[in-house]
Amino acid sequence: MRNLLNFLARYNNLILFLLFEGIAVYLVVTGNTYHNSRVIKGVRGITRVAEEKITNTKNYLNLHEINTNLAMENVALKNSIGRMIKKENRLFFSVSDTIQQQQYIYTTGEIVNNSTNKQKNFFTLSKGKKQGINVDMAVVSPEGVAGIIVGSSDNYSIGMSLLNIDFRLSSRMKSNGYFGSLTWDGRDYRYAILNEIPQHVTVIVGDTVETTSYSAIFPAGIIVGIVSDFEKTGGDFYKIRVSLATDFKKLNYVNIIGNLKKTEQQDLEKLYQ
Amino acid sequence: MINSILRYTIIFVILILLQVLFFNNIQFSGYVNPYVYIMLILLLPVEISSWILLFISFFIGLTVDFFSGSTGMHAGATVAAGFVRPYILRFISPRDSYEPGATPSMQIYGFRWFLIYTVLIVVIHHFILFYLEVFRFADFFRTLLRVLLSSLFSVTFILLAEYYRKGR
Repeated sequence: MRNLLNFLARYNNLILFLLFEGIAVYLVVTGNTYHNSRVIKGVRGITRVAEEKITNTKNYLNLHEINTNLAMENVALKNSIGRMIKKENRLFFSVSDTIQQQQYIYTTGEIVNNSTNKQKNFFTLSKGKKQGINVDMAVVSPEGVAGIIVGSSDNYSIGMSLLNIDFRLSSRMKSNGYFGSLTWDGRDYRYAILNEIPQHVTVIVGDTVETTSYSAIFPAGIIVGIVSDFEKTGGDFYKIRVSLATDFKKLNYVNIIGNLKKTEQQDLEKLYQ
Repeated sequence: MINSILRYTIIFVILILLQVLFFNNIQFSGYVNPYVYIMLILLLPVEISSWILLFISFFIGLTVDFFSGSTGMHAGATVAAGFVRPYILRFISPRDSYEPGATPSMQIYGFRWFLIYTVLIVVIHHFILFYLEVFRFADFFRTLLRVLLSSLFSVTFILLAEYYRKGR
């Protein structure tokens, strides 16, 4: 303590001088905009070097987190690419290719009106004759079969939903190829009934049910749904409940498929009926 | 004692007024900005306590700052001048030392002594003031020229003032 007092007594002038100078410089720096900015600039120049080092180190330590973020971003980007490709496929129109003899043309459509709660459900599409939509074209959602176009005006068209008791669809089981007629029993919008499968056929729960090309409307191989359960009815046929692939409650964007050779096929078939 | 305080107060007021009203308004090619108020620090008694000198210096500087709109610059310069004054006085002390109660004066210690004394303190004061003002070393020699030219004018004025004060 005495040493400290001695020290203070001995250097009181210097201490006082430094104190006053400190106050003066503080006033200069805080009171004048120019000096203030100079000091800030100078201090930044000094601290920037240290900050760079700190940032580099931090970045290194955070590499794991950054990697995770990048991976997540990658996944998101890949997903969006996938969506884009899908969209492009949907926008695919027919190409006049005389060698390939394209049979089916595809176009996209948006459902603007839909119902699932009636016995005879229809949906409305925002495309019509002007966009090339005609009666008896197939309507397919990204998940599976949705319905058939039954009428079209210039810019709109009406589709008969699969959820319509008048709807008949020729479909087969993928594992063994036996085909039957698919109808909706008007009860649950998630299930349809596949009839006319003979009882000697082995039916597997979980088997995929897909379309056939017999009707000349749907291309073959479009998924309808999955066998949910089945029972023997009177007669020789199974009554197979099919869990529908398409969720009609959230039907939004669909593909519309037209068969270019439908008339030819049907005309020929008429000759021999 | 009271008498001398009064005398210094009058000198203080006169110098501040001169500085603020006249010398601060001199626009002479941007190189010459004389600061004559430093004369008050020169004239304070030789034996004044260092800490009182520092206080007075700080106060003078703040006053000039207040009138010049330059926060802290003059205070920093005058405090430095007040700090070095005792050392300069000791450095240039005459052979028979200072008389008790003496004030630095041209009349007593001669023109040459007063000139050295004035030049040293004025240059130190101006040096710190001008560099504090520009606050960078980019135009070092240009600022140095300003320091020297302004010091020349300040010293000239102080010597003239001291000369006429002596005659009074």
